[in-house]
Amino acid sequence: MENFNHILLFRTDIKSEEDRQALQPLLDENKCIEQWNVDLDDEDYVLRIVSYSLKHHQVIELVRNHGYMCYELT
Amino acid sequence: MNIHLYLTDHLIIMRTRDIEKENLVKKIALETIANGGFESFSMNKLAKACSISVATLYIYYKDKDDLLSQLAVEHGKMMGKSMLHNFDPEASFEDGLRQQWKNRYRDLINNPVLGKFNEQLRASVYQDLFLSTLMEDALGKFKRFNDNIISRGEVKEMPFEVYWSVAFAPLYALIKFSNEGQSLAGKPFSLTDEMLWEAFDLVVKGLKK
Repeated sequence: MENFNHILLFRTDIKSEEDRQALQPLLDENKCIEQWNVDLDDEDYVLRIVSYSLKHHQVIELVRNHGYMCYELT
Repeated sequence: MNIHLYLTDHLIIMRTRDIEKENLVKKIALETIANGGFESFSMNKLAKACSISVATLYIYYKDKDDLLSQLAVEHGKMMGKSMLHNFDPEASFEDGLRQQWKNRYRDLINNPVLGKFNEQLRASVYQDLFLSTLMEDALGKFKRFNDNIISRGEVKEMPFEVYWSVAFAPLYALIKFSNEGQSLAGKPFSLTDEMLWEAFDLVVKGLKK
């Protein structure tokens, strides 16, 4: 059965294109992140990360250290 | 370790794709947009309406735009296929147009939500995606039919919009009245097959040379 444990999802306050751009270098440069995007069009501003090695708490720490709210989306 | 605890733990961690759930998501999304439009549509509300978690939605779809784009494409494909059902581009004007009426009537009268969703799509940023998918297969066949009826001299050449308005607007107006249960000034209305084909005969009479 196909599983999706490599898709990590977070509710954030990354609300604008500027916010997204502020985080872009951090996430782009992280070798453990295959792919990421933020849904700026929706109310939870979901950060979606594809990573086969990172754990939720590591991403939360990374994003929070950059001044944004970040909770695991359950 | 307790085996039950172990299994429960793994069931929670393991997110898997569930086709039934995916179909439910598409169905509810379509209904929500048909009735409330794109502006008030949110992933959060959709998840609640489907009794699934927001996270599950984002497993299936990258973001809201991804979900809506896929919905527009699938809907366009489905509509295109349905519009071509039993349609023969080489048929006579009357037979070919009758089949097009039958196909649209069948889709829209049985499923008013489809018509409303189409209207919302046409007024949205997903319009191009929807129409290009819809017309991918259908366009060539409709064009061939329209060329045929003119070259055979059944219908005179006219701007496409004029042809379309006369050929289809009566059908859509009757379906709309019927689905809303009322015609002008709130008069109760329910479309019968007799009325539909009466209108069709008038359309054919009007368009035939």
